[in-house]
Amino acid sequence: MADTTRIDLLDPADVARLGGIEIVAAGVVEGFLAGIHRSPFRGFSVEFTEHRAYQPGDELRYLDWRILARADRLFVKQFEEETNLRAMILVDASRSMAWRGAPARLTKRAYADRLAAALALILLRQRDATGLITFDEAVREVVPPRVRAGQWARLVRGLERTPDGAGTAAEAALGQLTSLLVRRGLVVLVSDLLFDRELALTALRYLRHRGHHVIVLHLMDPAEAELSAAPEVRLRDPESAVSVVVRPRELARAYRDTVRREIAAWRITCRRHGIAYHHILTDLPFGMALRLLT
Amino acid sequence: MTFLHPLALLGLAAAAIPALLHLFERRIPPEAEFPPLRYLSEAERQSARRLRLRHVLLLLLRTALIALIVLAAARPLVPTPVPMRRAAAHQRTALVVILDNSLSSGAVVDGRPVLDRLRAAARGSLAAAGASDRLWLVLADGVARAGTRDALLATLDSTGVSPRRLDLTAAVRDAVRLVNAEPLEGREVHVLSDLQRTALGPGRAGVTRGVRVLALAPASEVPANRGVGSLRVSDGAVAVSIVGTPGARPAAVTLQVRGREVGRGLAAPGSTVSIVLPPEGPGWWVGEAALDADEVPPADPTLIGQLNRALAARGARWRLGSGGTPGPIVASGVVAMDGIPVARRYRVDAIGDASRSKGEDSTVLATVNGEPWLVRDAGVLLVGSRLDTAWTALPAAPAFVPFVDALVNRLARGEAPVSEVEGAPGVEFRTRGGDTVGAMVSAPDPRESDLTPAPAALVRDVLGADVLDAPALGAARFAGGGKSEASGPLLILALLLAAAELGVATFTR
Repeated sequence: MADTTRIDLLDPADVARLGGIEIVAAGVVEGFLAGIHRSPFRGFSVEFTEHRAYQPGDELRYLDWRILARADRLFVKQFEEETNLRAMILVDASRSMAWRGAPARLTKRAYADRLAAALALILLRQRDATGLITFDEAVREVVPPRVRAGQWARLVRGLERTPDGAGTAAEAALGQLTSLLVRRGLVVLVSDLLFDRELALTALRYLRHRGHHVIVLHLMDPAEAELSAAPEVRLRDPESAVSVVVRPRELARAYRDTVRREIAAWRITCRRHGIAYHHILTDLPFGMALRLLT
Repeated sequence: MTFLHPLALLGLAAAAIPALLHLFERRIPPEAEFPPLRYLSEAERQSARRLRLRHVLLLLLRTALIALIVLAAARPLVPTPVPMRRAAAHQRTALVVILDNSLSSGAVVDGRPVLDRLRAAARGSLAAAGASDRLWLVLADGVARAGTRDALLATLDSTGVSPRRLDLTAAVRDAVRLVNAEPLEGREVHVLSDLQRTALGPGRAGVTRGVRVLALAPASEVPANRGVGSLRVSDGAVAVSIVGTPGARPAAVTLQVRGREVGRGLAAPGSTVSIVLPPEGPGWWVGEAALDADEVPPADPTLIGQLNRALAARGARWRLGSGGTPGPIVASGVVAMDGIPVARRYRVDAIGDASRSKGEDSTVLATVNGEPWLVRDAGVLLVGSRLDTAWTALPAAPAFVPFVDALVNRLARGEAPVSEVEGAPGVEFRTRGGDTVGAMVSAPDPRESDLTPAPAALVRDVLGADVLDAPALGAARFAGGGKSEASGPLLILALLLAAAELGVATFTR
């Protein structure tokens, strides 16, 4: 049974109502880290960094007995793992990302922002230099990877400053991104991948070739996975303005099969090139999306 | 195929609605944004062939569905298999049934008056009529009786042989005029007559286009008939002219005055025989000339077949066969007949199991050489020899009187009384039980005595009629007759199509 007190496991739309990106991401990360009992990225090295409140399940050997004796409170010691990881989170801000299939859901962009912020917070907490690039048909916002204090706030502001794109030709932007990522590290692409797969993969392969560890988070609204609408409707691509009149009932099965094939093609192609690929629906709780990365 | 409501066929134009909607559809569907349009286009491209087939199939099904419903509303009539024709429907029809119950219809063929056969056919025509039909019945008097089906059937049942002569040509001409005055889809005249050649009057009936005249074909074998055409008294003699079927054998004519036979003669149809009157005093003398009744059994063996058919028609299970050997009569049931010699006889043969039947209605009353000679079956008393001394000594034997007594009072009258029924004026039927065994016709129209039927070509030429036998007439009546309304099957088919359309629309997504 899901723990309803952990906001990382709540419906993303409900969580988003708690506040802005910052609050939501922080809450999600807290719940996520508390839930998994052990940090996914953090090790316990000899260099002490901070205390945190004891959570059931923490190993007792890291309990700070002196604080327990003095203040009768349970704290565990945390240690900084030595790392040179440089993480860059790439957020697709194209027009198609600003879409949602139902008013009760987050847009793909809103979901991507909160997920990226939560991911950045986790990375920064483990002292990894984390940066951000937002893009649509061009690179819109670049926050270089740093580990200093206030970096997370900068990243969040970077997300907030990036408007929804007017269009997308993300293939060009991806090419531009590769030149920005000089030092090898972790690259996380958060996108709905509604662009030419081959061209996008060329860019991602290049990153992989440069020694980056690449993770692709393929966001999709549930309404994009299953076609259901009025008996007849004119559907318009918000980016290209191309429209077609369809009877969703007639095409529902073929569309579902096409989407599954597309996802399978992305997954197989990414795996073939050593790229981690995760398909995420925007009604998936943030905590579960983050767990995919562990 | 005909339709009871042909105007409803205009609705067939509605069958074009699905195609027109498909071609000229100008609906503006709601518009919505949908980013993964590339997936949709791919799905559409892959499903294009299936969707095109589906659309064509749905178009055909919907068009056929509308067409079937419209056809059902038009209430089509389609030919029905013969066994199902009793319940068949037909288009609204103006029908004149001409039943020729003239004197000639009283002729007895195969044991039944011709009128029975004609009446059965007329009953079939009237019984097949519907409530929306307009009906008339014309009898030998030439009067067209309008009425409902039930009323005319009642009239038909009470109709006997009329002494009148019917001019078929005039009757058909009047009937055509009647049906033409009715604004109904069907117009028919059914002629139920023995189609005597002499019944066709001068000229032609003048059948107009759109009127169907159907005539019942005459019986295949018409008996040679003879009758007294006229009597003329002059110079102490009576000239008796005989009329009837040309070529018929001569018949004996007996002349009676004041109930006393005064002379006999022999004459064939078309000839005249003169019989001398005995001297009488002055005054009015009532006399009559009559033809002798046909002999049973006939002396002429060629007439045996006709007699046997008459017996079979009455349900008798005995028939006259070939000539038998002479021998004495053995009769246990009739006093003093035993031992009386029989010189000539026909063998009396059983049909089927009649010889084994022990019932009251099938009894061998006397035998000759162990073979039946006198039998009774189904109300028929059959003797193997003519009661003539050239055939048997019985008429000259003392046992003849007891035999006649037994025959009349016990064997025949006592068990199946013979009654005489007065027919229409000029006709007197002799019946026995339910059978008509003879008819006495007096003062007929001479043309009625010639029973020779007109050839079919002549009937077609004069009356404009198709000459059909009874089954064919039954099938052809009412615009081809034997048609049934196909609305029900069409609606069932429409339901099946609707189910198929639903299936295609639901399961081919």
